[in-house]
Amino acid sequence: MGTVLQTEVAGIGMKNPVLVCSGTWGNGREYSEWLDPGELGGIITKSVTLKPCAGNRPPRLWETPSGMLNSIGLENRGLEAFLEEELPWLAGFGVPVWVNVAGFSEEEYVQVATEISVSGLAAALELNISCPNVRKGGLRFSESLGDAVRLVARVREKAELPLFVKLSPRTADMKAMCVAMAGAGADGLSLVNTVPAMAIDIERAKPRLGNVTGGLSGPAIHPVAVLAVWEAYQSVDIPIIGMGGIWGWEDAVEMIMAGAGAVGVGTLNFVDPGAPLRIVEGIERFLARKGLARVTELVGLAHRGGFPDRAS
Amino acid sequence: MPAGYTATIAERNSFGCSVELVLETPRGFEASPGQFVHVLCGGDGRILRRPFSVSVSHNGGLALLVRPVGEGSRWLCSREVGEELDFLGPLGRGFNINETRENVLIAGGAGIAPLRFLAMEMRKRGLRTLLCWGMDGGEDFGRLPDIIAEESGLYVSTRDGKRGFRGSVLELLDALEVDRNAAFYACGPREMLADLVRGLGDGELERTQVSVEERMACGVGACRGCAVPSARPGAPYLTACREGPVFFAHELDWERM
Repeated sequence: MGTVLQTEVAGIGMKNPVLVCSGTWGNGREYSEWLDPGELGGIITKSVTLKPCAGNRPPRLWETPSGMLNSIGLENRGLEAFLEEELPWLAGFGVPVWVNVAGFSEEEYVQVATEISVSGLAAALELNISCPNVRKGGLRFSESLGDAVRLVARVREKAELPLFVKLSPRTADMKAMCVAMAGAGADGLSLVNTVPAMAIDIERAKPRLGNVTGGLSGPAIHPVAVLAVWEAYQSVDIPIIGMGGIWGWEDAVEMIMAGAGAVGVGTLNFVDPGAPLRIVEGIERFLARKGLARVTELVGLAHRGGFPDRAS
Repeated sequence: MPAGYTATIAERNSFGCSVELVLETPRGFEASPGQFVHVLCGGDGRILRRPFSVSVSHNGGLALLVRPVGEGSRWLCSREVGEELDFLGPLGRGFNINETRENVLIAGGAGIAPLRFLAMEMRKRGLRTLLCWGMDGGEDFGRLPDIIAEESGLYVSTRDGKRGFRGSVLELLDALEVDRNAAFYACGPREMLADLVRGLGDGELERTQVSVEERMACGVGACRGCAVPSARPGAPYLTACREGPVFFAHELDWERM
């Protein structure tokens, strides 16, 4: 593969613009049986919290039309196990690793981000301030501009790595939120996290999820994500990783045209473990068909009037 | 090693309330009893795969026994011979076969699928095996009980006594005066498994294996969606897809199941 697909976001070089999203790829071990992680553009880890986190009460999954509701609840083995067993292994593939950081207080976010940064094994941090599945922390930060700004600024102060902030599509003003994040020191944005949602079993008149509410992902939210990326691109100069219901290379290209410098494949991993690499190939074929020398030419193209119209 | 497969439906057998699909894969397929395959089901707006225990048909091929209970399984049941299916597998941890004790296999409803496979494997190894299959009043599996009886020997129970023993499959075990030193293998509705486990003593939990059913997304342990409560301190949940679907009864916290 030549330079056609090479790109960079926030100074991080990538062989192609396709990452795997946090929480949809574990920490790589399961899917390393299905594809070579070294072929990915980048890897975003499952959320890491300071202490081990049990996760939410089952049931944790419910399928909805073209979507999936989940309430995993940040289940992970905690920072210590992550630093000892997961991150060194992940770092061995020669692919940039974004470590997704979550917490139940500002202090926890800062401590986890700092220790990941000090480890020297990660390329970047992705601050999860938009998880809909935990009562404390999580989404609260993404819904309150002031809380989000304070948290990002505190992490920025301590952590040296490029800092991406993952936002919820449920925010009163996406543009204002993006501007505030950039102002607080974010080096990039991950757009979007799952959409807060729920489903009820009408025969039992009870919520489908043990946690009552969850996050919606999958093709159902793709247009929501495209708009978020579109608005972010209009309002800030920092790079955007576009994610949300990407179900094929076409969706990835759409996201890039909306302004994403890179894209994340999420729920699709569950259905088709080989999908990220097929999306890479699809993007490459599209570039060839359109006569473009570099994928970077596509970034934000829809904001610049698109391809020239041809007389038909 | 698990892999992605495109399989052709070679046979479609209607067994009362269920459908058996016999699949042919061009590069062969090997699984052990208790493992499952993750099948891509079509239909409007369906995106996730559906897990099905690997069963084996009377002629030795890979078979799935499907009950049309939801949209995915209804779609699958309406497939015809010659159509192709996309599945991942084999996935998960299967049954651990005890070579020294008598083996007692306890199925409830469609839970017969992995136990039919297990019974055939045990028989191949010449192990002492007793297969019991309980059905609810409304359940009718057509000719399937006769086929399995011929393959491996079978005791059937029905709630209404329409077929075989009248009562639950656990009452059938009592009536058969099953050796309490046997190794037990069960698959069926959650309540049946819980009833079985409630009746077991400490030593028996360690030689009882259950196959549990959970909604799954990835099927490979990555998403942590199919969590089942663990009895081990420090590890509150296990995944049905990777650490299971077969568990020893003492590995699970039955209070929280």
